Amino acid sequence: MAPHISWFSILFSASDIHHSHPTSAKAVQQIYVWDRFVRLFHWGLLVAVTLAALSGFWLGATWIRLHVVAGLLAASLVLLRLIWGLTGSHHARFSSFVRAPHEVLAHLRELRAGVAPRHIGHNPLGALMVLMLLAVVLSLAITGVMTLGGEFKTPPLATLSYDQGQFAHYVHKLLAWGLGGLIALHVLGALFESLRTKENLPVAMITGRKALRNEDADFPSNHSVRIRPVLTVIAAMVLFSGLAGWAGLPGGSGHPPLPHAPVSPSAFNVDYASECSDCHAAYHPSLLPGSSWQQLMAHLDDHFGEDASLEAQTAQEISDWLVTVSADQVDSKPAHVFRKVSPAHPDAISLTPFWQKTHAAIPKKTFSQPPIYGAFNCAACHADAATGWFFPSNISIPKPPITIHGNTSLVSVPSAIVEE
Amino acid sequence: MKGRLALVRTAVVLTLAFALVTPSVAAAGARSSIIAGFAAKAGKPLSAARGKAFFTGKHTGGKPETPTCLTCHTSNLRGMGKTRAGKAIKPMAVSANPERFTDPKKVAKWFRRNCKTVLGRECTAQEKGDVLTWLATQ
Repeated sequence: MAPHISWFSILFSASDIHHSHPTSAKAVQQIYVWDRFVRLFHWGLLVAVTLAALSGFWLGATWIRLHVVAGLLAASLVLLRLIWGLTGSHHARFSSFVRAPHEVLAHLRELRAGVAPRHIGHNPLGALMVLMLLAVVLSLAITGVMTLGGEFKTPPLATLSYDQGQFAHYVHKLLAWGLGGLIALHVLGALFESLRTKENLPVAMITGRKALRNEDADFPSNHSVRIRPVLTVIAAMVLFSGLAGWAGLPGGSGHPPLPHAPVSPSAFNVDYASECSDCHAAYHPSLLPGSSWQQLMAHLDDHFGEDASLEAQTAQEISDWLVTVSADQVDSKPAHVFRKVSPAHPDAISLTPFWQKTHAAIPKKTFSQPPIYGAFNCAACHADAATGWFFPSNISIPKPPITIHGNTSLVSVPSAIVEE
Repeated sequence: MKGRLALVRTAVVLTLAFALVTPSVAAAGARSSIIAGFAAKAGKPLSAARGKAFFTGKHTGGKPETPTCLTCHTSNLRGMGKTRAGKAIKPMAVSANPERFTDPKKVAKWFRRNCKTVLGRECTAQEKGDVLTWLATQ
């Protein structure tokens, strides 16, 4: 066994870069252009971006975990690519393909005149695309983490305000559409260049090899550059451990409680916790603004069609407490979205515009049948309803129990008893 | 030696029995005084039979979804009921739930609320007394 073969040399070996592969005298000489990391990066980024786009555009908020993992994978690949752009093989290095703007324009003019030469590495336009794709994917990751921090108070940027998070979310969406456009242009560009130069570029990104041609703009290809695998790994370790340390810090035990967080259920007013959970789970106070709570508490004798009257003093005490911990005082996503109440029913969470919009796709029957029974039952689907956070990945719509002869196998439903 | 051990054992058993019985005796006392209060207000002797008919019968005047006490409390008084918003209600039968009808405030609150929902009016002292008289024996 060769003593110097390790995973290192398997991943980063420069040996095959120096050799072209003349299979026969007549065969076109092939030259190794895209090293293993560049190819792994290219297709890995495609997978990561596809997963992120799939979960972000189509699967909905409940797939947020997949979306975050795919986004972090894409960002990690880009960060590694940035390092590799300084330490990798010749055609992987920024120094070999980043061109000045006037060179890009010159290439465009040559293309229009039909005299543009082939580049064995990235052509100036392709290089511009590489830089834009790297920048946009990295910006998507940054604005994504900012969105999670501001809107959902998820570390490491949990101290951002909701408004800052919402702005980042807006930019994130714009960038996502922008990335879609760039990818479309990139694919068209690769097809165009494949046809123009009579070379299958997608295949070259799989095999890493291209035909050697003397008339290339960047001929002779300078392969004298040395790959720096040790430097690459050290740079990656420093970068990623630094990022992990920064990201992990706010989650540590010394982290102060977030300002304007939803009040903890353990700190609920005693009367609120007992009186308001007799008939239904005690709704988190941050789900309605103070004015809505005051109106609701003033009309308990007609409480969504039920008499839920309390002694006046108890009702007043609960009402006063609710105002101090209402949506007006909290910087969570639910608090922000439920501040906009229904003008006709300002005390009904399920009639707020946001609630209506986000629950519109769920069939009415799903709500009416067990084990949910109605829109009042937040915790049936939102596992963290009691905390007031309502994080998207904590949503799971339960299946109705098996029905036998039209009757549910669960504990008797009220309407069934009246018939007896 | 043996005699003293038996004495200690008897004392322990008696203390335990006392500790177990006392709260239920106190509960029974609290319940009796609530029922006696309704009887005094009604000015008539209370009837468990009337209470049963009232609790299990259908009423008009309240909300159509809740024509009877059984809508939520179910016909199995020793089992759990369910509010219209999905929360469990502890058994109404005193034998299954000795805590029942021992807090005058709670009794007043729930009669006030539920009579309005089922009958559309407050219940009379006699109706309340009848129902409690019956449920206390269940």
